[in-house]
Amino acid sequence: MRDIADVAIDASVVAGATYADCRVVDQRMQSVLVKNGRVNSVTDFEDTGVGIRVIVDGAWGFCGTQRTDRAGLEDAARFAVRIARASARTAVARVRLAPTPAVTATYVTPVSIDPFDVSLDRKIELLLAVDASMDLPSVTTRQGSLAAVRHHQFFASTEGSRITQTIIETGGGIDATATGDGEVQSRSFPNSFGRQQLTAGWEAVLAMDLAGNGRRIAEEAVALLSADLCPAGTMTLILDATQAALQVHESCGHPTELDRVLGFEAAFAGTSFLMPEMLGSFRYGSEAVTISADATSPGGLGTFGYDDEGVAAQRTLLIDGGLFTGYLTSRETAAGFDQPSGGTVRAESWNRLPIIRMTNINLEPGTSSLEEMIATTERGVYLETNRSWSIDDRRLNFQFGTQAGWEIRDGRRVRLVRNPLYSGRTPEFWNSCDAVAGASEWKMFGVINCGKGEPGQLMHVGHGAAPCRFRNVAVRPA
Amino acid sequence: MSTESRSHDEMLALGDTVLARVPAGTEAEVTVTESAMALTRFANSGIHQNVADRTLRLRLRLVRDGRSGVAEMQVASDDAGDALVKSAEAIRSHSPSGEPVKPISPDGGADTEAGYCERTTLVTPEERADTVAAICAGADSLGQKAFGTFETGGTSIAMVSTTGLRRAARHTVAELIAVCRGADGSAYGARHASDVSHIDAAALIAEVTERCARNQGADATEPGTYEVVLSPYAVAEMLLYLGLMGLGGLAVAEHRSFMRFGERLMSESVTISDDVRRPELAPFPFDGEGSTTRPVTIIDHGVCAAVVHDSVTEKRSGEPTTGHSLAQPNSEGPFPRYLCMENGSGDDASMVAACTRGLLITRFWYVRPVHPLTTSITGMTRDGTFLIEDGRVVRPVRDLRFTQSIVDSLADVRSIGAERRACRGYFGATLAPWLHLGHFTFSS
Repeated sequence: MRDIADVAIDASVVAGATYADCRVVDQRMQSVLVKNGRVNSVTDFEDTGVGIRVIVDGAWGFCGTQRTDRAGLEDAARFAVRIARASARTAVARVRLAPTPAVTATYVTPVSIDPFDVSLDRKIELLLAVDASMDLPSVTTRQGSLAAVRHHQFFASTEGSRITQTIIETGGGIDATATGDGEVQSRSFPNSFGRQQLTAGWEAVLAMDLAGNGRRIAEEAVALLSADLCPAGTMTLILDATQAALQVHESCGHPTELDRVLGFEAAFAGTSFLMPEMLGSFRYGSEAVTISADATSPGGLGTFGYDDEGVAAQRTLLIDGGLFTGYLTSRETAAGFDQPSGGTVRAESWNRLPIIRMTNINLEPGTSSLEEMIATTERGVYLETNRSWSIDDRRLNFQFGTQAGWEIRDGRRVRLVRNPLYSGRTPEFWNSCDAVAGASEWKMFGVINCGKGEPGQLMHVGHGAAPCRFRNVAVRPA
Repeated sequence: MSTESRSHDEMLALGDTVLARVPAGTEAEVTVTESAMALTRFANSGIHQNVADRTLRLRLRLVRDGRSGVAEMQVASDDAGDALVKSAEAIRSHSPSGEPVKPISPDGGADTEAGYCERTTLVTPEERADTVAAICAGADSLGQKAFGTFETGGTSIAMVSTTGLRRAARHTVAELIAVCRGADGSAYGARHASDVSHIDAAALIAEVTERCARNQGADATEPGTYEVVLSPYAVAEMLLYLGLMGLGGLAVAEHRSFMRFGERLMSESVTISDDVRRPELAPFPFDGEGSTTRPVTIIDHGVCAAVVHDSVTEKRSGEPTTGHSLAQPNSEGPFPRYLCMENGSGDDASMVAACTRGLLITRFWYVRPVHPLTTSITGMTRDGTFLIEDGRVVRPVRDLRFTQSIVDSLADVRSIGAERRACRGYFGATLAPWLHLGHFTFSS
């Protein structure tokens, strides 16, 4: 890998690059999917290639290639330089990079059990057993999946960095869908979107206890078919940790991406309501709300040693006691503010340009508990597990639906309710947060489908979250 | 980087080299995909990202003794075939015995290339930069800033199998997207074609700058139920989600689809088909298992007529595959790829003139299903939303959130436009007209 990177970097400089970096990537993913008592698919995917990023005449160029021979690498480097020269013809300003120290380093995700060392037999056996536990009348679709990822990368830059990283991810999840009487209801565990995933080994799957939760979610899916509709009105809302994680993702993670603020995503992912003049003074949420960007959180999908610009992983506060205090930044965007990079730049693959992505955007634990929040709620709903999500391009106006809800009356869960939706505006919503559960209920969740950039890039990002409570929220049935 | 793509013969030969390594007595399907893509991205009236890549992907599916295994590789090494067979066989041999999806036999369909244009594969970084420069100059001259992308590229796919499948085809895509922003408002427009020479950048920038100029200083309007005049961009988004939620055979089999065959659920003027014959949609002639994609009339004058199928739902439903499969095996089932809404005789001006009080909507954003059986979706308006009163567009309004059943809204169609626009989708593209709907519900 080192030799490949050296050839690419040297060829870029010879062709005229004033800066160049190169990522040599070898990635393997194995997935197992069981559906309705049968193995639906077992797939092994290996992906190898080289991404070359250059600055020429103050403008960016990027070329991805699978060729690792000298001629192929030189060809790709020259093409990256040619692209950059074309960019320079219509660039607004010369690219300036915030300084970062050159490092030689190695990082490997700490794991107890390598997921690729666990036999397929064992993985299939687990999923088939859980599938059988979900086999109830009215449950028409049962599904379970496991995934293992090994992302091996060598990064080199003209500034002298040489970084080797191996990121290992392991994930799993189950879904039960019940149908009947003109209704369709699903329950998922530990999370929706197919699976929960962490930078961890097979121990992460063992800790999920899929087998212990299959029957429960199947029964809940069936119960939801005949459950009453979610009540409508302005009321207290309590979110489980999974939905709190997605709420953080959409309404705190994305708006703090500085490239959105600067208009880089204006034609696609959107912009942000968080203008730079709001930094340090805007009250984003209540004092109960502290949110960090922490690429050092154990287990998070945004946990690494160095980002794809060679900047060390770090923890910064985006919201501190409700006050807006920071953005997610790259070397380019941070330079405009005379700041060091926040180290949040990553690419989905070798053939994609690294851009600002969430690391682990964590809602820091509070001092309450789910039990206490429910016990001190007179009228409201407790909602679990995302079903639908939507937010505007400035990240202000949102609406979420969840798979299940429980109505709360006088401090007790009184009944299961179906098709709950809640909506709001980001600052008003986070300012209505009056409780966050403590560290014992705080968990790390993985989002494996965060979309951004053109060509589109699906990034794996993490969110630590705990159950939390919001007052005076608009709630209604779908 | 070389712009030379592999020929069909070279792609098929690559597939053959993998097939030759498969153990005797094993059924196998090899898919070879080569894509070359380049995209120039601009913001604040300047290029800020500019990328290109070429990718070769090999996929092997093995079936034997009721066991199936799949391996995929995105690598260019000479020994990829050996590694691919070894990996797929290791998975196959460890899989429990069942009834795996088998490779199909050839169906005799033609490998037409209606969606291919060589010119699109030859666009240079300098040509893309020149087009972007023209877009930016058009915006700058009116005090606006331009944002967007210009993408050109092509994909070739070859499939060979032990069941005699042997086909190869290619298509190209060119897409120019522009968002213009003024001091207090923005507008959107896009052009999509297989032939880059059909991308009219001048017409696009004229459309978007004019809309942007009108969409400045928007005020709020009350949420509620409005008549709407939807641009093709918004209609395409709606059709896309209709397809994702309920127009595939597996959704029907799993009772997740709204379709009630033979029943009229939409206005009589609504006919929706999936039509692979439309060259402007950059169509590809076969699907992920090598079946020839065939035209399907899905909604026929408001009546639920059919959904799309693959070999798996063919087995379950008895309806023949329509060639809309994803790569097999999969848990998602088939999806429409080239949805087309039949055009009418109206246009946006006549629709606005016929509207008492409504909203003119350029684009929907962040649309997500809320309930599949009711086809309820939620999302936001974006980049150009205007209030219509007494047949006139009176002012821009701030973006609104809608939560609306697609089927219910298409049961109240007032008028359909004559002109249609090709818009990119998840699996292909959509051909959508302007649409005047009698009601649409906005919640905030």
